[in-house]
Amino acid sequence: MQNPHPHHHQASASCLLELDDPDATEKWAAELLRECARAISEKDSGKIHRLLWMLNELASPYGDCEQKLASYFLQALFCKATESGERCYKTSLSVAEMSHSFESTRKVILQFQEVSPWTTFGHAASNGAILEALEGEAKLHIIDISNTYCTQWPTLLEALATRNDDSPHLRLTVVATAGVGGFVMDEIGQRMGRFARLMGVPFEFHVIRDLSRLDELREEELGLREGEAVAVNCIGALRRVGVEQRQAFIRMLRTLRPRVVTVVEEEADFTSCSGEFAVCFDECLRFYTTYLETLEESFPPTSNERLALERECSRSILRVLACDGDRVGDCERREKGSQWCRRLIEAFSSNSFSDDVVDDLKALLKRYRAGWSLMPAEGDASGLYLTWKQQPVVWACAWKP
Amino acid sequence: MAGEAVSKASQPLNPCPDPNLPPVVKKKRNLPGTPDPEAEVIALSPGTLLATNRFLCEICGKGFQRDQNLQLHRRGHNLPWKLKQRSGKEPRKRVYVCPEESCIHHNPARALGDLTGIKKHFCRKHGEKKWKCDKCSKRYAVQSDWKAHSKTCGTREYRCDCGVLFSRRDSFITHRAFCDALAEETARVSAAYTMTNTTSIGSVDSLLQDGAMTPNIWKHLSPNLKPNIMDREVGQQDRHGCSSWMGHGGQLDNAFDGTTAMSEINQAGLVDSQLSWIHFNKLSSLPTSNTLKPLTGSVPSLFTSLPHRPAPDISATALLQKAAQVGAISTTPFSGSFGLPECQNTSAGDGSVFDGLLIHEFAASNTDEVNYITRSRSMLRDCLGGETRDFLGVGVQTLCQPSANGWI
Repeated sequence: MQNPHPHHHQASASCLLELDDPDATEKWAAELLRECARAISEKDSGKIHRLLWMLNELASPYGDCEQKLASYFLQALFCKATESGERCYKTSLSVAEMSHSFESTRKVILQFQEVSPWTTFGHAASNGAILEALEGEAKLHIIDISNTYCTQWPTLLEALATRNDDSPHLRLTVVATAGVGGFVMDEIGQRMGRFARLMGVPFEFHVIRDLSRLDELREEELGLREGEAVAVNCIGALRRVGVEQRQAFIRMLRTLRPRVVTVVEEEADFTSCSGEFAVCFDECLRFYTTYLETLEESFPPTSNERLALERECSRSILRVLACDGDRVGDCERREKGSQWCRRLIEAFSSNSFSDDVVDDLKALLKRYRAGWSLMPAEGDASGLYLTWKQQPVVWACAWKP
Repeated sequence: MAGEAVSKASQPLNPCPDPNLPPVVKKKRNLPGTPDPEAEVIALSPGTLLATNRFLCEICGKGFQRDQNLQLHRRGHNLPWKLKQRSGKEPRKRVYVCPEESCIHHNPARALGDLTGIKKHFCRKHGEKKWKCDKCSKRYAVQSDWKAHSKTCGTREYRCDCGVLFSRRDSFITHRAFCDALAEETARVSAAYTMTNTTSIGSVDSLLQDGAMTPNIWKHLSPNLKPNIMDREVGQQDRHGCSSWMGHGGQLDNAFDGTTAMSEINQAGLVDSQLSWIHFNKLSSLPTSNTLKPLTGSVPSLFTSLPHRPAPDISATALLQKAAQVGAISTTPFSGSFGLPECQNTSAGDGSVFDGLLIHEFAASNTDEVNYITRSRSMLRDCLGGETRDFLGVGVQTLCQPSANGWI
């Protein structure tokens, strides 16, 4: 439900902020939110109250970008100020789990992939790297630790089916943590199996779902077999591992002896600033402003799918800003590509994407609206970035032992 | 001119020694690779073959890719009438062989009659694919193929069983995998399969031993059929023609139980289900199941003439050609010359491939089923020049002229 009077709010913002210049109210949300974050880190309770009240007046999850930002960050700020972050987060998690069905999840993610390359970029890059690394192998085992509900695999299955006369045997092991409802994964597995049959690809599907945290994953649970070529696919996975456990997790991946490890992460740093709330907040605001902007410009004006995605990111914001430690579900502290590179280089060496894969990615971006492009990583970092209006937003990289 | 060797195409002879076939009439369009025995065979080196501008103007030395272009250019020189005519009489008809020694068209008996044709063939089959579509990254060796593809790339539409239309292939594939309609289709296909499975003799089960998925049999059956399940596009119609033909190979002999089961699947379960979802805007007039039925009807009649062994004077090669012609006729509504005619990969010395396939296998026990399948598959692959896996129609394209309708 669109706010019928956006200008009304903008006028209010300038009144409330006592600003002379109406143009300055364009990005009023960022201003207010940062003020509030600073007030919280300074423990200036009077100012905190005032700003929270203002934000509450102006915010709306159904309004324009500014109003949405205000709304989602307001919740995190409120929880931070009242130290109720964990409780709020748990509540929102269970609400989400209850309201998510296979159909609703499918609808949201497929629509998202239709209008934005945010996830399909990583999928296409990873699939390309996997296909090239496992070329000629008869038995493939892909260990999938991702947050995209297997939407990556149909195109890979199709490629396996059509590349050569003989399709290899594919075993797919999905590692799901608490956030992904068990029954959703079952349904997805069935669909994958059916589709693989249709494609004529011999296929096995398995879900590992009894982990409460990702870093509890152990090699034994994966049931690796002799003679199979392993690929590990991490899409938005590494950030879900607690910061302190990340290096150990990467070392564990190495013990799986994969031919290739594909990593896709969103380009933001919520880790190095853990101690300083205001700095963390700024980075969080910067990243999610961009994200919401891409959603706004990709989806049609009134879209339930977009709303669902926005609610999801408000949970993520809450988790990063108002929840401490590892007690609640997955970590969400993202790191930038260059930071991941420094971690991964300890156990793997980077494998640049081939020209063919890059061409495929360029072709992929052409299928979406303007504004997206590719950018190779520079300096010490490897991999490729998806950029939105020249700003890197998603990072993809392939690694080999 | 360096790199050319001239010989008579008449040794070895016309690959159709069968007196029953009508003699090839010169004016009519020949099946590719069956040159006029009196034609002059030219063997060019790869370098010469690929050289552009072979036709030189004797007046100014300017080079042209085609003779027609050169003639047009010569007119501009305002030559007196006498000199306008080309010197010498009309040269003998020329045919060209492929320089690649392992290629079927290296044999003068299978030479191609058109210089442009042999150039394209050489590039497509043996050349480097230098041209790449920037929309979908598909690679082509011949520039005109690439251009033709680029015109239609991205303009195709994909329709799912559930009714949703897609302009993007990747979103179509992903949607399809998660679509509820998939559940019904695979149920129908599995049902058809289990139905026929119970009637067939045990050896079909041996195929089903392949660890994971029993319907993996689709793959063994016909590589073309597999992508067809996925891809609902007009170009695939051509493949239906060939694949049902192959399916009918199973109906040749009732003793051959295993393949009967499979061809039934082809017709009942698979083909019908495939056809039911093909419908495109401008191509609604295309015959769908209708096309296949004439083929269905005619091929068995062709083969029922052989009881358990064909009459000695009808070779397997000839039978294949007949079938191919029938196939070509039935599928003419499409782009005209789907490669079925090319299925006669039988140059004189090669008849044994088909001999073994058609004749001996009739009496074979069921355990030879797998051999039949794998041989059929390689035969089919040969038919389509090794490019059987291509949704976007490159495989088809190499065999016929790019369709004016822009399917390819």
